[in-house]
Amino acid sequence: MSTVIATRGLAKQYGRLHAVDGIDLDVRAGDVYGFLGANGSGKTTTVRMLLGLVLPTRGEIDLLGERMPRAGRRVLPRVGALIESPAAHGHLSGRENLALLDAAGPGGSRRDRRRRVADVLDQVGLGGVGRRPVKAYSLGMRQRLGLAGALLRRPELLVLDEPTNGLDPQGISEIRELLLELHRGGTTIFLSSHLLAEVEQLCTRVGVLDRGRLVLQDDLAILTAPTGATVVRTPTPERVRAVLDGRVAAVDAERVVVSGGDAAEVNALLVRAGIPITGLAPDRPTLEEVVLAAAATSADRVERAP
Amino acid sequence: MATPGRAAAPRWAVVGVAVAALAALPALVGALPVGDCPVPAAELRAEVLASDGVTYSGYAESAGGLALPVTDQLDSVADLFSDRTEMRVWWRSPDDHRVDVLSAAGETGVHRDARGTWTWEYERAAATRAATTPLALPAPPDLLPATLGRRLLSEATDAELTRIGPRRIAGHDALGLRVTPEEPASAVQHVDVWVDPGSGLPLQVVVLGRTSEVPALDTRFLDLELAVPDASTTSFAPPPGARVGTADQAEIVLEAGRRLAPVPLPGTLAGLPRRTLDGAPPGIGLYGRGITLLAVAPVPRRLADELRRTLAQSPDAVTDEAGTRIAAGPVGLMLLDPPHAGPYVLTGTVTLDALVEAAAQLPALGGVR
Amino acid sequence: MIAVELRKLFRRPRTWATIAVLNALPVLVAVLLVLTDLAPRPGEGPPFLSAVLTNGALYPLAALAIVLPLFLPIAVAVVAGDSVAGEAQAGTLRYLLARPAGRTRLLVAKLVAVLAFVLVTVVVVAAVGYLVGTTLFDAQPVAGTSVSGTSLTPEELAVRTVLAIGYVAVSMLGVAAFALFFSTLTDSPLGATMGALVVLVTSSLLFTLDAASPIAPYLPTRYWLAFVDFFRDPVLWRDITRGIALQGVYVGVLLAAAWANFTTKDITS
Repeated sequence: MSTVIATRGLAKQYGRLHAVDGIDLDVRAGDVYGFLGANGSGKTTTVRMLLGLVLPTRGEIDLLGERMPRAGRRVLPRVGALIESPAAHGHLSGRENLALLDAAGPGGSRRDRRRRVADVLDQVGLGGVGRRPVKAYSLGMRQRLGLAGALLRRPELLVLDEPTNGLDPQGISEIRELLLELHRGGTTIFLSSHLLAEVEQLCTRVGVLDRGRLVLQDDLAILTAPTGATVVRTPTPERVRAVLDGRVAAVDAERVVVSGGDAAEVNALLVRAGIPITGLAPDRPTLEEVVLAAAATSADRVERAP
Repeated sequence: MATPGRAAAPRWAVVGVAVAALAALPALVGALPVGDCPVPAAELRAEVLASDGVTYSGYAESAGGLALPVTDQLDSVADLFSDRTEMRVWWRSPDDHRVDVLSAAGETGVHRDARGTWTWEYERAAATRAATTPLALPAPPDLLPATLGRRLLSEATDAELTRIGPRRIAGHDALGLRVTPEEPASAVQHVDVWVDPGSGLPLQVVVLGRTSEVPALDTRFLDLELAVPDASTTSFAPPPGARVGTADQAEIVLEAGRRLAPVPLPGTLAGLPRRTLDGAPPGIGLYGRGITLLAVAPVPRRLADELRRTLAQSPDAVTDEAGTRIAAGPVGLMLLDPPHAGPYVLTGTVTLDALVEAAAQLPALGGVR
Repeated sequence: MIAVELRKLFRRPRTWATIAVLNALPVLVAVLLVLTDLAPRPGEGPPFLSAVLTNGALYPLAALAIVLPLFLPIAVAVVAGDSVAGEAQAGTLRYLLARPAGRTRLLVAKLVAVLAFVLVTVVVVAAVGYLVGTTLFDAQPVAGTSVSGTSLTPEELAVRTVLAIGYVAVSMLGVAAFALFFSTLTDSPLGATMGALVVLVTSSLLFTLDAASPIAPYLPTRYWLAFVDFFRDPVLWRDITRGIALQGVYVGVLLAAAWANFTTKDITS
């Protein structure tokens, strides 16, 4: 499995502020990589460094096996990107915007440009938008157009920053389907987001950024692997405690955590004691718990120096 | 901006070096050594005086530092000596040449031919024919370095001449020559002339008064080509639609003939001998030699009144029992208004003391000793 | 890349609005001249304007002379100041550079687009001037009179007019280069435009000041009026060549500075 994004000691310093402080990203081909972090944690700066927009203070970036930003001209045509919000020329139609963007760089042949633009507009659900200028688009339509721009050259790697921003629930689900379909087609997706749920639903690998440092990077399956305990839901938690004395790790209203990963065994014990059970599952940490455990406080907080 | 990985410093250094090189270029060219040649001063003067047949074309700029207090009638003369004047010149011979005075959006061209001059004023679309007169008010062609240099050197004695350092002017290495007038009455400190050694053509003339460090007049070529200009360039025919006219003689010259009882003028004034000038009416007296000149001329009443008003407003003017006078750089001017003779003006490149002395030697003009 | 920038510029309604506004002033002046028949006094007002009443074929030059001191440079500064900073403000700059459009290439393409705008603008002003001049005034297509009082054949007049139009376009390069450089420094198009205009006003002001005469030959506006020199006879090339060289130096230096800044800049817009 080859590496798609690899950084070593990547750092960006603005004056005395360490926006990104020595991170080692490792994104492999076929990943849907969730890049999590609170606002101001350095996500955007990292994404911009990956794409050669911001030049690193220290460290190295390998993108699709080549050194950035030096090899940008060779590598970036194979990367599609949605950076923060979408942007387009308001007086032109979406179709024209895409054609101009395609013509502005290498790697998009002129002959099939019209067809590619039409295809990608269909793909994001803007096929019938016609000649309307972009300034008449809704926020969601602009988001779709931005995504279309990223998909224009069938990239091997998609770098997406908050791709579902401004979309309604149907839109979000549509885009999620689209991304999963692209992923099945072999596209690696690097998804930067602060929406845990979105990442949890889509991603196979997760990296968590906290105040410029990468505090966590692992497969989602490993991070949220069963802890070896079982969660029991019951209206009578005190009776569970009586039956399984010594094995109850925590009681929280009707939710009881019982040590022992075999849910069937726990179930058998409780049913035998005649305790009503409304839910039973192996205990897994949620992504939120994992993230909160790894990242100390919100980066928005500005603490008084001790 | 922090320190980006793609080093900004070398790129800015490249830009800085390029800018520095460009900025230093004029200074470097100026610092190139100028060739000199030990020609004796008298010989150099002779070369200059023989240069009026040299054909050339070029672009000259004269800058005058003289703020003459004048009236509307003499505006054009005053501008000549107080402003920057840009001129183009084509010189085929002393009576076949053309001098254009350029302005931002037009020009005034003087075309000289054997019988007179055509003056073309673009802004008025007017062509004016004038016959050549020996006595005329200063005109732009008189400010050309070549013409002015010859005139100022024409009467210099060898004792007044010294050699000074060379200069590069309009791409030519020019030899320096200085005239320091002997007359104590002279208001001119010295006149520097730089001469092209091959042709003898003066390329720059700088006149320095006794009272100021700023040249009273600095005229030089900026471009010079020593080749015969095309005859079609110097000739002139009024274009269709132009107003064509004939010039009157300068009023100041006519006035001298109009006076019924011209004042008798002595043979010397302020130690300067009187000189004769062909074509000048006897009512005008011209004294001196070389660059020290003094003129005594009757002026029309209207002109005199305007002049007096202008002088009254000038803080530099001096008025006492001897008369009203003013010095603008090396040029002095004194207005006399005797009761019966009509107003007279004394002017020239002499000191104010010399003007007072001259006025005292003209009792008929009301001068006070 | 250049084609893309040209399409962007000329597909933009604002570009054409600017050109239209630029043409409004000479047309207004022409109409007022016809209605009042009051030509400016000779030697006053913009060059060639006093000559227009007798020969309307000179109106393209008068129109250029009218817009040259202020309107034309403002229009150029607006377009050039918008070139990079406008993309930054709209957010499209990051997509262009991630596309990737090389930074140096983008800069050159922007400059070429601005040049094209200058040229189109100048030609449109001259063309509208010609139409207005020949319809409103008596035109003398037979011949013209040069500034020096010689007669010019219609061919000579046409050639010199074309050269003068070209020279006016070249004169705008310095302003364009200043605005483009400022445009790489800031994300605000207005700021870049204002920066270029400050340079312009400073230069015009210093030009009139005697104390600034030592630096006068290096002021970007120093040789602007030299387009009149095409109509002297013989043509006075001195200021024209200097003007072209000076604009070339400004473009070279400022483009180099823009390059040094832009290629090493963090794009955070």
